[in-house]
Parts: sequence; structure tokens; C-alpha cells
Amino acid sequence: MNRTVMKKTMYFFAIPALVFYLIFWIFPILKLFQYSVTDYNGFSTDFNYIGLDNFKDLFASGTLGTSLWHTILYTVISVGLGNLIGLGLALMLNMNIRGKGFYRSISYIPTLFSAIVVGFIWSYVYMPDTGMITTLLSKIGFNTENINFLGNYSTALYSIIFVEIWKNIGTTMIIFLAGLQTVPKDLLEAGEIDGCGPWRLLRNIKLPLLATSVTINITLSLINGLKAFDFPFIMTSGGPGTSTNTLIFSIYKMAFTEQMFGKASALGILSFLFIMVITGIFVLNMNKREVSA
Amino acid sequence: MTSVTKNMFASDPKREEVRRPSGRTLGKKALVQLLVIAVMVLNLIPLVIALSTSLRSPDNMSNPVNLFNEFSLSSYRSAFERMHFSQAFMNSLVLTGISVIVVVLIASMAAYPMARIKSRTSQFLYLFFLSGLVVPGQMVLIPIVQMLNSLHIPSTQYTPILMFITCSLPFSTFLYTGFIRSGVPEEVEEAAHIDGAGLFYRFWKVVFPLLIPVTVSVIITQGVWIWNDYFFNMIFITKASQSPLPLAMLGFMGDQQNPTQWNVLFAACILCALPLLIAFTFLQKYFVGGLTVGSVKG
Amino acid sequence: MKARKSLWAGLTALILSASLLGGCGSSSNNEPAASNGNTADTGGSSAKPVTITLMMSGTKAPDGQDFVLDILPKLVKEKFPNVTLETSKYPDEQYITSVRTKLAAGQGPDIFLVFPRNASLAVNDMAKAGFTADLSDLTFLDNISTGAKEDMAYEGKQYAIPSGMDMLGVYYNQELFKQAGITEQPKDWPSFLEACQKLKDAGITPIVLGDKDPFFIQFGMYQIAANTVYPDDKEFDTKLQTGETSLTDPKWVKTVSMFKELYDKGYVIKNSLGLGSAQAAQNFIDGKAAMVFDGTWDYPTLTAKGASEFTRGFFALPANDAGKPTYIAAATSAGYAVNAKSENMDVAKEILNYWYDGQSDLFKEWVKSNTSISVYKDVPLNHELFKPVFDDYNNNGNSVYFPNQMWMTGVAEEMEAKFANIIGGQKTTPEEVTAAMDKKYKELAKSKK
Repeated sequence: MNRTVMKKTMYFFAIPALVFYLIFWIFPILKLFQYSVTDYNGFSTDFNYIGLDNFKDLFASGTLGTSLWHTILYTVISVGLGNLIGLGLALMLNMNIRGKGFYRSISYIPTLFSAIVVGFIWSYVYMPDTGMITTLLSKIGFNTENINFLGNYSTALYSIIFVEIWKNIGTTMIIFLAGLQTVPKDLLEAGEIDGCGPWRLLRNIKLPLLATSVTINITLSLINGLKAFDFPFIMTSGGPGTSTNTLIFSIYKMAFTEQMFGKASALGILSFLFIMVITGIFVLNMNKREVSA
Repeated sequence: MTSVTKNMFASDPKREEVRRPSGRTLGKKALVQLLVIAVMVLNLIPLVIALSTSLRSPDNMSNPVNLFNEFSLSSYRSAFERMHFSQAFMNSLVLTGISVIVVVLIASMAAYPMARIKSRTSQFLYLFFLSGLVVPGQMVLIPIVQMLNSLHIPSTQYTPILMFITCSLPFSTFLYTGFIRSGVPEEVEEAAHIDGAGLFYRFWKVVFPLLIPVTVSVIITQGVWIWNDYFFNMIFITKASQSPLPLAMLGFMGDQQNPTQWNVLFAACILCALPLLIAFTFLQKYFVGGLTVGSVKG
Repeated sequence: MKARKSLWAGLTALILSASLLGGCGSSSNNEPAASNGNTADTGGSSAKPVTITLMMSGTKAPDGQDFVLDILPKLVKEKFPNVTLETSKYPDEQYITSVRTKLAAGQGPDIFLVFPRNASLAVNDMAKAGFTADLSDLTFLDNISTGAKEDMAYEGKQYAIPSGMDMLGVYYNQELFKQAGITEQPKDWPSFLEACQKLKDAGITPIVLGDKDPFFIQFGMYQIAANTVYPDDKEFDTKLQTGETSLTDPKWVKTVSMFKELYDKGYVIKNSLGLGSAQAAQNFIDGKAAMVFDGTWDYPTLTAKGASEFTRGFFALPANDAGKPTYIAAATSAGYAVNAKSENMDVAKEILNYWYDGQSDLFKEWVKSNTSISVYKDVPLNHELFKPVFDDYNNNGNSVYFPNQMWMTGVAEEMEAKFANIIGGQKTTPEEVTAAMDKKYKELAKSKK
């Protein structure tokens, strides 16, 4: 189409959104850069500029390392497992089994509850002795004395990751399902006639055609995972010890509990850059793949 | 072919899950059905526990796994009264309603040039908006409050709307841009252009009506988080009479010196999610459809 | 080139609409501004309608009337027909975040709860930052005990009204004690350990703690510290501030070691790290454990009816050596302050004068609802259960405040996190716990300067 139809004046359409976005999002973010070199405590009016001390302290202390590691674990597992389960579920539902619509609706219901509510409910599920899982296991004869999901250093993080997956599985699945429905039937039939097994059909025909859904799902869950805050905050307060401390949880604690807003800003900037880089690399990679597919 | 399938089935049942049926083996289908049911049970059980707990009277503290051992609405009555439900519900409705409407209008507008113009500026804008998704709200809260303060915007019942709109923009513009790019061919605007219609007319009369599917998905995804958000509400709203549902619910949560009242809390949780659940039941078709259209075509 | 031009056009428009938006914001929200304007000159004569906002931390009463949410606004309206009191209640964490952010924006509530001494959102910080008003001219202050008032004062001026005092202690199940053959209430650490052992031998879980909520760890730790760190050195925390001593002091190491001993010997319920405070309380009232460490504020929860009927007892954890007195961990509880930037400060003070006048219906209702032990003249002790310990407190004066009230917020949290390592079998030593506390203390002290 020629240039007179798609004129540059179109950019005016973006102005209202840009106004909101710049004033209430971008400028405040830039302000963090200023605070990151101060000893601002988050509420008093006076503060001092202290150079790069905040950054130095962060690198010197262990907080950055542990919370970064937890965030990476959280992300890798929730992205990987969440998408695998979502895809599996979508493939199953796509088999035209009975009650497909019903199942699809049900799997979306957890998404409607807020993170606080979900956190509360799952704290109950995970409770030792009288929680849901221990009760069920002891009914079928297991010794549940030592089961302690949220209180055990080696299981707490995985337990909250599972909740994250549980809450988002509906969305992931629906996006995959929609993608699957765009896969042309005759292409699949042709594949079957050529003697493709189910595995090869999936790998060579369905997955390439699902590229967009995959990109969206992975990008969304990637960002979700890197920003993980709600469940550590609600379910474990970062504990036991610091075993469920994620980056954003550490920032929150530093800024609001310990009142070191300057240092929290510094950590905020570091994690912001980290998230940006990871997501950026990933999105660029996926885009390339999508084009080549 | 059949034998190959059978062998695979025998050796690795996991592959069976991802096998598209050719309608030949009934057993396979039953197995898949069973698996799906198992997953769905896992999906719902925690919520069923919450429901059963909420149906107990506030002082029934027995093990929550003894499902439905009492059927009493007294926790609901208590939650309903103590949250001032109808007032909080109206507050929620106003907050969510206004935010979502504004988001739909300005995000679709912003997406229009980003989808139609192919230039570096446009690409930059697109990524610029998208990158906002990466920053968590907790991090920028204090600078945001200071910004509002320096603009002399007072903290009122309606202040959170500004933040709801802002935080919804990245994902909404992302969905709209993707949809316009691939779902609304430029040709549809040509006729209007030849008739001499301006950009404004073309967007609102020609393009916007075609955006209904993705608009539904924006309403759903953004509406749900705005409805459930307590963070921005908590910061800006001081008066109880102006609190939306999640904020009213927060009062039932325990802390260091006050135990959580689980039964009432769960009743409150369910009351809070109930409007969404009802909306979901009625709008299911659009709900699911809308969410998919926007994201598949992205 | 073209793109750049339109970008400029965009920017200009942006700035324009930004100023527009700012204007919009203030004019469309003129309701509160107008009411403020009306009431700024109220002074004492009160004819014009005033709205006062009050925020506090806590949980809504599940049924019946909630004092702050229902009774208080109603009674204030009866006394001052022109005053509407808008009250709200959030859990601690949310409350602190929300109020602090509002204050930073200069839009805090008129009346709000602050904590004693140095804790988060505490008097010292708030007064120093100029957020709380000087309340020294309130009429009823003489009726409040001096010690409690001092905890809410800064540089000699009163900045908040203490609501009462809280004690930490051990709630115990008298039937289970008898069952295990414990005839005498333990008076010192060796006899306490002995009692635990007897319970354990009788197949009874001696102590239940809700360590999944990290703050629960303080309930035991501070009671021990009251007997190990402070008796010989009441000025410990002051010395800490000047740098004369540090948290790595052997006395703190001993405190942590003693608490650790309870876990090592299996006296504390297994899986305590998976139990929240509510679940710990449930275990106690169901008779599944003989003791729980908790504060006097939790009386209603711990005396609620559970699966088992039994008589409760309450004593201060005897972490003292044999022959020494037991020190009680007791501290002033949170209290109300008035926003220094409030446009209705006089009205707020009038309300407080009425509220705490010692005779009004409002005062009586407040006393009835108060979960803390009263520090107000002539108000009797709220629960008989606490009488022995309370008498001991009054007669001997052997008590120590909660240490975190003298630390910067973050130190106690560090202690909790590191001690959780010990509970969770992470091979952390008591020395490492105190070293981490010390490091955090110094880090925070540095940033506070």
C-alpha cells in the first residue's frame, strides 16, 4: 500500500498511551537510577549521594547471588514444566475427547483467583500433618511424618514453583490449543499417509506451526518467572531461611522492611537489566526461528 | 502403521498423550480422557477445599480436608457484612470498568501506527511499550507516588485507575499490534481512503470494529488482574468506604498479633472471585475465544 | 527525517497533554480538597463537616462489632456530630508499606498506629522525619504509666499514645503437665529442660512453634535473651549503638545456643518450619502439644475451644540459671499518632482526648477491645491467666523490652532467617547466626547515618 494511505500522522494515535506510559512508568523508573546512588530510606526528605557504594555492597554480600540463583531456578522450571504440561494438555484436548469445552473452562478457573487467594489455599494444601497432601497420603498408608513441603530447605522453592505453574496452566494451554486448531487437517493426514508416527507428526508438523504460540507462551512465562514475587511473599516470606528469596522479593524486603531504598533501587536496576537481557536474547532468538520456520 | 503405533504405545505410554487419534483405538481415547480428568481434578481440588472451608461457621476449625462436614452460610454472612460487599463491589466495578475502557481505547489507538507503519520509529515504539512488561510494580512504587505528588494529583478513590491503565498498556498494545498486523488487512482501509475518509474515521469506523476478538481478550486479561489487584489500591485509598473488594478482603488476613480467620477469609475470597466466575460462565465462549485469537496471531 | 519530525510533534503534544492531565487530576478530584478547605479553620468550634481518616494494623473481627471499624466511628459521631471518622485495617506488612508510602507522598491518614522506639514505622523514625505531631498537650497523658509513655516519646516530646503493654510467655496445658508427672512449674533453665524431657518421655510433644511465620522465632529468642543478655547489662543496646559492643557478644551466642538446644533435643514439634502461627495455635488448643511460646495478645486464639478441653497456664520462659530470678520479656505495644501534616489536627486531638478520658463510653469500649495489658491508670488486668506473671512484673520489675524495638528493622529478620537454617538442619552454628545479625546491624546502621 502506498505511503499516502499509511501516513506518519498516524503516530498521533499513540500519544495518549505514551503520555500515561512515560509519566507513570518510564519517568519513575528513571528516578530509580537517581536513587540507586543515594542512601534514601524511602520516606524521609533528605538523603545523601554516596556514589556506587550500593552497587559495591550488593556485589560484596551474598544476597545477589542466592536470590539470582533462585530466580533462575524458578524461571527455568516454571517455563519448562509449565509449557510442557500446557502443551501436553492442549494436545490431549485437541483429540476431540468428550467434554472438551468443559475441561477448557475448568482449567482457566484458577487464573481468575488472585495470587493472595491462591497462596492461602496452597499453604493449606501443603501444610504438614493435617494438610491436604499429607492427609491423602496417610489415607493410602504412607508415613507422612517427615513431609513438610514449605518448611523444608530442599522442597520449599519447588513447591511454590508448582503453584505458579498450577495458576498459569490454563492460559498456557488455551494459547497452545488455539495454535493447534490452526494446524491444517490435510497436512496431518498427509503426514500420516507418509508414515509419520505421532512423535514425528508433533516434531515436524505441529511444533513448527505452533511457533507463534510457543513464543508467546514462553515469553509470558519467562517474564512471569523472572518477576516472581507473589508466592514467596505470601506463602513463605522468602523462607525457610532464604531458600525462596527471589530477586524481586529481595528488592521488596530491602526497600520496605529494611528501609534501604537506595540499595533496593540499585538491586532493582541490576535485576531489571538482567531480565531485559534474558528476555531480549530469547525473543530475538525465537523470532529468528519463527521466520525460518 | 498400526503395529508401529501399538509398539510405541507399549514401550512408552507418555508418547500416547501427545498422539493425535486417528479414531482407531478406543482404549487410547479412554486413557487420554482419564488423564485429562486427573489433571482437572488436580486443578480444582484446592479450590474445592476453599469452598468447603468457606461453608463452615467461623468457629469450626476442624481439618479442612474433611470436605463439606458442615453447610453453613454464616461465614459468608459475616464476610459479606464485614466487607460491606455491595459497596466494595460497586467500587471494584467502577475501578475495573473505567480502567478497562480507557485501556481498550488508548491501547488500540497506540497499536494502530505501530502495526501499520513499517519504520524504525514504529519498531522502537513497539519494543518500548513491550519492555515495560519487564519491570515489576513493587520496584517503582515510591517514585510513582512521588510523581503523582509532584503533579498534584491527590490520592483518591480514582487514583489507582491511572496505574491500572499504565500497567495494562504494555501487554494490551502488544496484543493489539499483533492482531492488526496479521488480522486486519490494509485493504479494508483502502475503500475508505479512496472515499476520502480521514485517518480518524478509518480507525474508528473501519479498523476498530474489526478488533472485537482481541478487545475481548484485552478485557479479560487486564480486567482479571485489575479486579484482583490490592497493591495500588492499598497505596492510594485510605477510606474504607472507597475500598474495592480485594482491599476489603485484606482485613481478614492475619498478621503477627492477629490470627487469620480462615473460614471467613475463604468466604471473602470466594465472594471476591464470584463476580469474575459469573462473568466467566456467561462469557465463556468469548472469554476463551478472545484470549486465543489475539495471542495466536501475534 | 520525517519520522523525527513527527516524534517532535508527538513530544510537544505529550507535554501539552501532560499539563492537561495534571490539571484534570486536581480539578476532578476536588471533593476531598474542598472538605479540607472547609475544615482547616475548625479549631474547636465544630459546625462544619469534617472527615478524619484513621488507619491501623490488625484483622477484622469475624463477627459482632469491630471496635475500630464499627464502634469507634459510631461513638465519635455521637459525640461530634460533624465529624465522620473513616477507619481501615490491614495486616501488619501491608499496613506498614501502605502508611509509609502515603506519608512519603504527604497524604497519610490523620490518625495512625505507630510502633514503639526503633522498629519499622516506629516513633523515633516518624518523629525524626517530621511525620507525627507533638501530642504533649493531650489532657489524659498523666493517666498513662511513665515507662510506656517514654517508649512513645522522642527527644522528650510525646508523639504517640501507648495502647498498653505485651508480654511474651509460655502458654501451657496443665493436664498434659500432670500427665507427664510434672508437679512444679519450672523455675530455671535446667528444670525447664527436665520438664520438656518428662513430656517427651511420656509421648507428648513438649513445645509447638509456628516457625513458618518467621516472626514466631522471636517469641522464644527474646525470652531467652531477656535472661542471658540483659540482666547484667541493661544498656546493651545503647552500647550497640555506640559501637562499644556487638551482636557477636558471647551472651547472644549463648542465647541462640540455648534456643537451639530445644530443637536439638527434639522438644520442639517436628516440622515447625511448615507450621504457620495459626496452625501452631491449633495444635496447642487441640491438646497435641503441651506448650507454645506466644504473646499476651494471642489470648483469644490460645484459649479458644479446640479438640481437647484443658486448663491453661502461663509463665515466663525460665531461661535463667538456677537461683537467679526469671526476667520477663515485656514491651509497650503500638499506639496512635497524629499526622503532623493533618489539616484537621485539632479535631484529631479532640477525638483522642475524648477517647482516652477514662470514663466515656468510647473509653470503656476501647478497654474492652484492647488485647494488650492496660497501662492506663486504674484499668484492671484483662485476663486472670496472666496474673502471676503480671504481679511478678509489677513487684520485682525484672523485665526486658523486645530487643528488635532497639534495632533497625532488618536485624530481627536476619536472625529469623539464619536461625531457621538451624531448625532446618542446615549446619549453621549459633556463632554464624550472631555474626549475620551483627553484619546486618552494621549495614543498616551505616545506611541510617
